[in-house]
Amino acid sequence: MIEPPAIRPPRLPAAQTTGRQVVVFADAADAADEPVDWSAAGISDVADSRDFTSGRVPAQAMRDAGATVFARLGIAVVSAGPDQVAALRGARRPVLSVSPELVHHVLPEDPSAYVRGYRDGVTDLAARLVGAPVPGEEVPPPPAFEDTAAATWGIQAVQATTSPFTGRGVRVAVLDTGLDLQHPDLAGRTVTAESFVTGVDSAQDGHGHGTHCTGTACGPRVPPAGPRYGVASEAEIWIGKVLSDAGSGDDGGILAGIDWAVANGCAVISMSLGADVAEAHPPYSAAGRRALEQGSLIVAAAGNNADRENGGYGFVGAPANSVEVLAVGALDPRLTTAWFSARSLAAPGGEVDVAAPGVDVLSTWPMPDRYNTISGTSMATPHVAGLAALWAEATGRRGYELWATLTQASRRLTEPSVDVGSGLVLAPQEGAGSVRRA
Amino acid sequence: MGSPLARFSVTVDDGHLAELETVASALRESGMEVERVLGALGVITGQAPADARPSLLAVPGVTSVDEQLRVALPPPDSAVQ
Repeated sequence: MIEPPAIRPPRLPAAQTTGRQVVVFADAADAADEPVDWSAAGISDVADSRDFTSGRVPAQAMRDAGATVFARLGIAVVSAGPDQVAALRGARRPVLSVSPELVHHVLPEDPSAYVRGYRDGVTDLAARLVGAPVPGEEVPPPPAFEDTAAATWGIQAVQATTSPFTGRGVRVAVLDTGLDLQHPDLAGRTVTAESFVTGVDSAQDGHGHGTHCTGTACGPRVPPAGPRYGVASEAEIWIGKVLSDAGSGDDGGILAGIDWAVANGCAVISMSLGADVAEAHPPYSAAGRRALEQGSLIVAAAGNNADRENGGYGFVGAPANSVEVLAVGALDPRLTTAWFSARSLAAPGGEVDVAAPGVDVLSTWPMPDRYNTISGTSMATPHVAGLAALWAEATGRRGYELWATLTQASRRLTEPSVDVGSGLVLAPQEGAGSVRRA
Repeated sequence: MGSPLARFSVTVDDGHLAELETVASALRESGMEVERVLGALGVITGQAPADARPSLLAVPGVTSVDEQLRVALPPPDSAVQ
């Protein structure tokens, strides 16, 4: 396991406070049923936003009151010392936190910023032209993640190793070339498989790609041999074979697979496939939106059409370039953009939304090979699908809410947002999805 | 000579999601060989002569008619997939 480099937080100036306290209460099913006992803290003159017209508490009333309650937020501002407020902690409605009220200021304008920016720009240009190191860029890169005996680099990077969540009770659909249905690593798992390829009855994988993606999304917590490579180890596996053993398929079968997954309540639909077209394809936009409305999130590969070593940045293909489909770019073990990973299109929907491990990814392969290590945005996508299942389990969120949760919880990277979107998606850790008591 | 057959995905608008079968019947009458009516998505897929696109688009409830895209993965032994 690679430890992240120690980062020293910048020293911040002390915040100005007003002497009042901001109290946050726990959620109550009905706040009226659990009134706050202000008298226990010796506080009278309570102004409640519900007692004022249109819920607005006038500034004068706030100044005069011992406590001002914002009922919709479950927050009160109290004119009292911390000791006095502590008496509320024993009250019936639980208190989550008590913090000093801060004084906020308009951010100061800095007239010298322009001049400094100009100076830095000239310094940077000069340095680049003469090949000297650019000031501020001399920091050595953090160590790369590495596969260990316990887990692949990708599983470590997304912090699945320390997550208590497993995707239990969440259905994950993988629409691909199928699955090696006899693979020993998935023995005993709930697998529902269907073929949508014309003339093919079985979802058995005769290519390998689908088996690899399924392993990454849903592989076991402790594989019988080798390191852990899978994210959502207890998710229900739904396999839609939409690509032939030669690796090809068309809209008809792919849309049928999406329809089947949505109709069966799959919270996550993983699609490591795409066509190199630069425009959003209307049927996938409609499918993505209607899937989200029914609680299914489609996660798709951004595409491998970049050739960054030769100056080619590529573009996000269909279906990932639909607004309603979450597009995934690929990262290498240093968390930089993979050389093949497609860049965002300028058109709406053509953005790379998030990124995940997609270089040298070890996962399942049809027997007798058992495992294979390959690269692609196809390999990044099922990491995100598995992580979505963990978040779906942890928070109960689905559809657009689940999408927002993934981007919110991703680790920001110094790579351009056109390549990695909101950054590296991370697994929910202990306590995620619930409001904890302070 | 008829136009060669092409594979189409027909997207149905929000107002006709409850009447997908009616839309599918009208598409058949306009020359489409309907393969799948996808109820959860409001999409109908099938084949039709390539030049039938305007008449399919004219069917009430149809918001888009698109030739199907084809996806092809690299061979299994490729390093990047």
